[in-house]
Amino acid sequence: MLTIEEVKSQLKNKYQSAIKNTEETYGTRLFVDIDKSKVRDISNEIIKMGGRYLVSVGYDNIAREKSLGLIHNFSLDRDNIFVSIRTAAPVDSPVFDSITPDIPNAGWSEREYMDLLGMKFTDHPKPKKLILADDWPEGVYPLRKDVPYNLMPPAAENVAYQLDEAPEGCTTIPVGPFHPTLHEPAHFAVFVDGETIKGCDYRGFMVHRGLEKLCQTQLTYGEVPYIAERICGICGSVHAASYSQALEMAAGHKISRRAEYIRTIMLEIERVHSHLLWLGIAGHLIGFDTVFMQAWRVRESIMWFGEKLTGNRKTYGMIIPGGVHRDISPELADELLGILKTIEKELVTIHKAIVGDGSIHRRTKGVGHITTEETKLWSLVGPVARARNVDIDVRRDHPYAAYDEMQFDVPVVDSNDVWGTVVVRILETFEAIKIIRQAIEKMPAGPIMTEFPQDVTPFKHAITAVEAPRGEVVHYLITGEENRPERWRVRAPTYPNLQGIPAMLLNDQFADLPIIIGSIDPCFSCTDRVVKVDVRSGAVSHLSAGDLEKISRAKKTAGR
Amino acid sequence: MDILYIAVNILVFLALAPFFEGVVRRITARVVQSRQGPPLIQPYLDILKLLGKQNLGPGNFAFKLAPLVAFASILSVIVFVPLGYKANYLTRYADVITIIYLLTLGGVAVLLGALSSRNSYALIGSSREMITMIMVEPVLAMTLILGAVKIKSLGIVPSISNVIGGGYGASVIIMLVVYLLALMAFVGRQPFDIAEAEVEILEGPFIEFSGPNLALFKYYMLLKQMFYATLFVIVFIPPITTGFYGVDVLIQLAFVFLVYVLIAVIGSTHPRLRIDQAQKFYALLVVASLVAVGLSVYGI
Repeated sequence: MLTIEEVKSQLKNKYQSAIKNTEETYGTRLFVDIDKSKVRDISNEIIKMGGRYLVSVGYDNIAREKSLGLIHNFSLDRDNIFVSIRTAAPVDSPVFDSITPDIPNAGWSEREYMDLLGMKFTDHPKPKKLILADDWPEGVYPLRKDVPYNLMPPAAENVAYQLDEAPEGCTTIPVGPFHPTLHEPAHFAVFVDGETIKGCDYRGFMVHRGLEKLCQTQLTYGEVPYIAERICGICGSVHAASYSQALEMAAGHKISRRAEYIRTIMLEIERVHSHLLWLGIAGHLIGFDTVFMQAWRVRESIMWFGEKLTGNRKTYGMIIPGGVHRDISPELADELLGILKTIEKELVTIHKAIVGDGSIHRRTKGVGHITTEETKLWSLVGPVARARNVDIDVRRDHPYAAYDEMQFDVPVVDSNDVWGTVVVRILETFEAIKIIRQAIEKMPAGPIMTEFPQDVTPFKHAITAVEAPRGEVVHYLITGEENRPERWRVRAPTYPNLQGIPAMLLNDQFADLPIIIGSIDPCFSCTDRVVKVDVRSGAVSHLSAGDLEKISRAKKTAGR
Repeated sequence: MDILYIAVNILVFLALAPFFEGVVRRITARVVQSRQGPPLIQPYLDILKLLGKQNLGPGNFAFKLAPLVAFASILSVIVFVPLGYKANYLTRYADVITIIYLLTLGGVAVLLGALSSRNSYALIGSSREMITMIMVEPVLAMTLILGAVKIKSLGIVPSISNVIGGGYGASVIIMLVVYLLALMAFVGRQPFDIAEAEVEILEGPFIEFSGPNLALFKYYMLLKQMFYATLFVIVFIPPITTGFYGVDVLIQLAFVFLVYVLIAVIGSTHPRLRIDQAQKFYALLVVASLVAVGLSVYGI
């Protein structure tokens, strides 16, 4: 166990001259301002201490210091510490040392700021376009403050992304932008030799609409959580919770204990439905539709409960800065317990059926295999990492909401393959049910909302992580002057996990591609940070608008 | 009269193949997946709808020809099926080799269509289809040869009706089990719907087909499925004959229905295998079927 003081002194001893300033908040967050020449060394030093790379944040600081800021964030999981190393480069030569050669997962973050802020990274192994459209004009960096949020450059023709060259003797099979495996637009160029995958290139961010820019320029603190929640159509609450926590942290605001409990319950409800959803999709991807149908049938009851509690099957709108929107009454809590009991019972059956089914084993065991070291190297998160014997879980390592009082296990398996992710997700669902039960039992009385202060001190930094069903989400917030964030960076769990996909695909069969990509539970739109619409749920056929209205009214009166 | 039987064959197959598919879908939905499922006539509607759509294609001749050849070849196969245990006018002009040829022709037509569409998914699908064809067709051939060995004739009716001639010996039991295991591969359903695999290669060989062309291929698949189910009934279930042709046919169809129930249950309780896993499985089947024929030579 390292303390924050030890981390600080270790860094200071070694890199005295490069460290300009340090700042601690909440006893768990360490911000270190460093000289940009030592970025790579200090990053490696933190990794050596047991740090895990999270995400980088680039921001425009031209107005005040004529510089572009860059923050690399790390998590010391065993020590409950987040370390952020902050550096800057003058805007006329925004050149940094790339940390990607040592920490491959930083590749996307750095490419993102090449696109969006015009930063340059020396020694970056793949300095290709990542986010911007193919026909975006050169030299316009949309995340800089002088570029308006609604800028629409004219479309250009005859521009195309240059995919990587296929290795010798391989054919390229395009998967995407529209492909039944993906459910959302993204493009994988898969290089196959016969049916064996020898590599792949990814071109995504096709639905990138610049939510961060929008929230930094148009919305206020109070409005952002609703956008945050719409980043993901499956696990929206995690983004709202993460943003709210970051804001509360930056403002030094403490919310009531009851609100924290309700947040915990909402986050776990979301985990239950999300894991069941994934289980169904995984079944579908290996051609086993019965698992799909049964898992979604079981899931349905929790969706109904979500609607009853919050008014929506999904996108609950419960978590806002300062607390939560609605209280959970004792009657609702009882109903929830009943629903959980049924789900638990049925899930035990499904679990047994899956464990006992040899053909599922054949399709998942040894598939998407990567070693624990590779998993750590690529900084993979969530069930994907836990299925590969990496014991991380933000709920336990960096407790937030009411998780510090919850007793739960973090399932970790060492099969290092897709089968492991199946097992981990099912066991996690049982744990989630356990957590909800404890939370309902221990929930203290009190207000659900504490009025949020009107003015938040500008230029405060805060970083929070929340364990989403797919892995952790990380939000980095720099408070701003006009009642809105100066910079708000969202990192969804798919962002690091997608970068690990090429390693997982290597030397597997093309037929395994759907389940391997599926095994990270990809949420491309979260990665792209836009609204995702789940068209499969809730559609009722042969009904006119009037009928639908009648049904919803009837449902309201019936109390469902 | 002989010629009439041909018409009955074709009519029964054309009329009932989509219905049985509807049954499979309904059983999958209601019994296994807790769903309502589509109406029983849905497969007819699917085909009708496709017939009304536009034919799109790369415009080469092979692409247009492929669905027709596939459909024609499966119709020709059906003609020779001794429905109601009656030989018809045409059976005497053909033998089991003809049946195997015609079935293979259907498969080749699918490959032809896939290759002429020049789609990379279709290419993967056709290579998988080819592997399946090469490795599973022998099971069918061995089944028919088993009867041929026993009766020392390659005639269709003698060889088909004599597989179980002499009772259920070891060779017949082995062949029956092998046929059942291969059945899902014959009809291209889970766990062996590898060539079409919707989530990987989007229906593989059929990806570029649309409208009436696709309808023909779909009908071809349905008929093929019914052919294999019927063949199982004719070959492995001892004939129950009442003397009335119509009643015999109905009894046979009742058994076919049961085979479809089996197809539905197996199909909905298995994930899709990978082609390399399936290959190993097929190899076992081929060896087992050869063993069965070998045993039958010695009268076991």
